[in-house]
Amino acid sequence: MSDFDRRKFLKSAGAVAALGGLGVFGTGANRHAFAQTGAANDLPRIIQKTIPSSGETIPAVGLGSWITFNVGNDIELRDQCADVMSAFFDAGGRMIDSSPMYGSAQDVIGYGLDKLGARDRVFSTDKVWTAGDGAEQIAETSDRWKVAEFDLLQVHNLLGINENLPLLFRMKDAGQLRYVGVTTSHGRRTEDLIAVMKNERLDFVQVTYNPIDRKVEDYLLPLAYDRGIAVIVNRPFRGGSLTERLEGQPLPEFARDLEAKSWAQLILKYLISHPAVTCPIPATTKPAHAVENMAAASGLLPDDKMREQIAAVIGVLV
Amino acid sequence: MSEWWDYGLGDLLLFSPRVYYRLFETMNTTWALLVAGALVAGLIASGLALRHGFRGNRVILVLLALVWAWCGYGFLWQYYQPINWAVPYLLPGFALQVVLFAIFAARPLPLRFGWRGDLSCYVGVTLIAFALIAFPFIGLIEGRDLVQAELFGSAADPTALGTLGFVLLSRGTWRWVLLPVPLAWCVISAGTLWVMDQQIAVLMLAAVWVTVFCGWLDLKNGVTTRRLTEAEIRD
Repeated sequence: MSDFDRRKFLKSAGAVAALGGLGVFGTGANRHAFAQTGAANDLPRIIQKTIPSSGETIPAVGLGSWITFNVGNDIELRDQCADVMSAFFDAGGRMIDSSPMYGSAQDVIGYGLDKLGARDRVFSTDKVWTAGDGAEQIAETSDRWKVAEFDLLQVHNLLGINENLPLLFRMKDAGQLRYVGVTTSHGRRTEDLIAVMKNERLDFVQVTYNPIDRKVEDYLLPLAYDRGIAVIVNRPFRGGSLTERLEGQPLPEFARDLEAKSWAQLILKYLISHPAVTCPIPATTKPAHAVENMAAASGLLPDDKMREQIAAVIGVLV
Repeated sequence: MSEWWDYGLGDLLLFSPRVYYRLFETMNTTWALLVAGALVAGLIASGLALRHGFRGNRVILVLLALVWAWCGYGFLWQYYQPINWAVPYLLPGFALQVVLFAIFAARPLPLRFGWRGDLSCYVGVTLIAFALIAFPFIGLIEGRDLVQAELFGSAADPTALGTLGFVLLSRGTWRWVLLPVPLAWCVISAGTLWVMDQQIAVLMLAAVWVTVFCGWLDLKNGVTTRRLTEAEIRD
């Protein structure tokens, strides 16, 4: 795709998404495939998305930890977080994302993985967030998660990127890390991120995207698609404020066609259906919400027309 | 490419109100005696400070040093630091405040606390009463349990607010050095509470404004610089 016309891009991709079962986006190499695979027999089939740089697939919904998992040393709250992780894994989830910036969240994830014995089930995703010694911080992060190697490490908000990105590439080359990425949030520093995406061989980027914050649809997502970069979506519910404002509002009729039972599921389906998006990472403190979020990665996904309808309806309501 | 100043206030809030207020519940139940003792220390200090004449000045300063030490170690280090990575940068301020109180207590002529009947005294008494008596019940209005009450001497917000009141009730050329730390804490805490949508943030900022105004008024009127009388010194 030489130009990044959003409508044209989504029209072609959305037509495939509307098939709902198995779709393949892109031309030539099978870089942007997604498929539904069953977890346990009694669970819905979870849509898997492909990481373009490797061909590996991961479930199309992950778990964030910003604010929700920063519970300090409070054992009762730590156990509640472990319950969320347990529900997430049982529902077929794998990717959990954190950062050194998130207070005690890394320790709490380590606690949960210990309690659940789930280190072989997690796709471990964290960040390096320092203008100082990145290697030292990554070592501390490993200690907190109690994992030897991460699946994905990202430069958080491009902080210290000139030092930290080469460090991550060296770790990948040395076999100490599987994927390298860069993150932003709140739509800031998008131009800087685009420059990095053009100049570096990134495996992942992480950006803010939801039916209200759609700026990335114009250029960044098509660029990621074109360059084979997987996309993690943060703030899918705007830190919870989006679903709070929609609470009590009736779902549109077409939500039934998509088997979406809540606004959260409708929003996640909106995100997952974008061909460049690999994995939104909603955060929650409730196990039931973790299950509900995972269930959004099953069944039918909206086509281009429906996506526009979802954005329009939500735009009017909030 | 990215720098620290790119971050907004909202980016730096890392915990939910639920987790924040559970800190006080855990501290109040785990260290009930110490928490109660710190509150009683505040009540004793306020009783001494509000008397006519200047008595018990060293006792007040020692009690305030003790509650700031407990607040710094107990609340900030034991409970707040695990959910807020900025706490290690704030703790030196609490240590400095303890040292300053200790220095004032040890001086031959410590600060003089007492009712003068001016605007600063009214504001000081209001701040102390608010911090010791009203602040713990604010959570009830917000729908929280009383066990999560923020108590003077243990929780940082009422401790800082009350300290501003004590300083306004005092006389002494150098009393202003006791203001920066509690003022700074009130500003930082107001930012945190504001991002958490807690209305009390406005009161924290109002306390800062009124304290600075009264301090300026006292300076202008010579309250802090007027030499003590022989009778005041003997007391």
